[in-house]
Amino acid sequence: MKKMVMMNFSELPEDCVSTILSLCSPQDVCRSAAACSELRSAAELDCVWESFLPVDYHEIISRADPSLLKFRTKKELFFLFCNSVLIDGGNKIFNLDRFSGLKSYVLSARDLSIAWANAPLYWSWKNSPDSRFKENVELRTTSWLEIHGYLKMKMLSPRTTYGAYLIFKVSERAYGLDIMPMEVSVKVDNDLVCHNTMYLRQDFGNKHHIQWLLYYNRTEILTSRVNQGLDNSILIHPGVRDDGWTEIELGQFFCGGSCSDHNKVVKMSLMEIKGHHLKGGLIVEGIEIRPLH
Amino acid sequence: MASSSTSEQKKKIRLKSADNELFDVDEDAALQSETIKNLLQEISGDQIVPLPNVTSKILAKVIEYCSNMCELDPIISVNKQWESFFKNCDQDTLFDTILAANYLSIKSLLDLTCKCVADMMKGKTPEEIREKFHIVNDLTSEEEAKIRAEISWAFE
Repeated sequence: MKKMVMMNFSELPEDCVSTILSLCSPQDVCRSAAACSELRSAAELDCVWESFLPVDYHEIISRADPSLLKFRTKKELFFLFCNSVLIDGGNKIFNLDRFSGLKSYVLSARDLSIAWANAPLYWSWKNSPDSRFKENVELRTTSWLEIHGYLKMKMLSPRTTYGAYLIFKVSERAYGLDIMPMEVSVKVDNDLVCHNTMYLRQDFGNKHHIQWLLYYNRTEILTSRVNQGLDNSILIHPGVRDDGWTEIELGQFFCGGSCSDHNKVVKMSLMEIKGHHLKGGLIVEGIEIRPLH
Repeated sequence: MASSSTSEQKKKIRLKSADNELFDVDEDAALQSETIKNLLQEISGDQIVPLPNVTSKILAKVIEYCSNMCELDPIISVNKQWESFFKNCDQDTLFDTILAANYLSIKSLLDLTCKCVADMMKGKTPEEIREKFHIVNDLTSEEEAKIRAEISWAFE
């Protein structure tokens, strides 16, 4: 007679089952909970969910508003993080990916370094119902467009390639933004990791056409100045996000997670400072730093 | 590489399995088990270490694993060989080895065997997990529906 298979999860002590689950993915743990009561209770254990939380989760908790981060179990905390948490006085969003457990952030406009951002003549701060932050900022007019975001490498998940994205809108009355391509870049400490050029507007309607006719020569000359020295100056156009905003990639970088990476700072930038013409109508929500899938 | 160590006889530890089989094991291999290490401190020198929770079949495998781990091969390649062994062995052996590694407190073996089970669960639906591991569903249909509703994202 064929031997019956007797061994299964009910034979294992709880700490073995929890070790097994902590080596699965969050998704696999949740699915296994529907298999039997033993797996259901193991799938609630703090030691299982602790393994899916980032090692510095205590620090993230300390940077969030305690009234908005109420949880009893590590599982609840994990899913709070997956639904995004405001940290640093509401100026950053922290998020965990529920499938991979990898971290991402959105730096709000207030968290960015924007040239002349405090001069009301150039930039205007406003509360916007479609923003997840208290406020975002709209460019009224400037000839010098310069935006930088900074993030410490140690805040990111190790051994992960990240992309940085400017989240923005272009208002109806925008002008001057698409005469010249924007220069975007990512630096890690002082090393230039990525450098590219791209246009902020997607539509090439009448307005653009007229501008093109009027300024064609000047635009050509200035654009060549921006593209000079770039081996790979493919022009990329903005993408539409699920939240209704648009985004462009500022660059990609690898977070190694070694000790030497720990104190490095990622600098993500968007600049248009070579055209010298006035431009306006750019609404900046922030910069998102998220893992590439 | 073994030339220097063979000239001098290695110290052996005598282990006794649940089914009273005796195993003579190199001390450094046996000491990978925290449990055996602790037992050796309690009993005097040359006594037999009784392991009433581990059968001879599983103990033989565990000893083979611990001996491999003491060899000079890169640990990674040894680990790979054992990973493929546990992935292809029958489930009784795999689960019995988890129990033995847990009882004997051999962390690397426990992690390796648990990882094999975790990999077997990867991407599976609750039904497939039950089938794979011969689990009887003891949840009521209401309970199961409730869990599934809470975690509908996990089925995307």
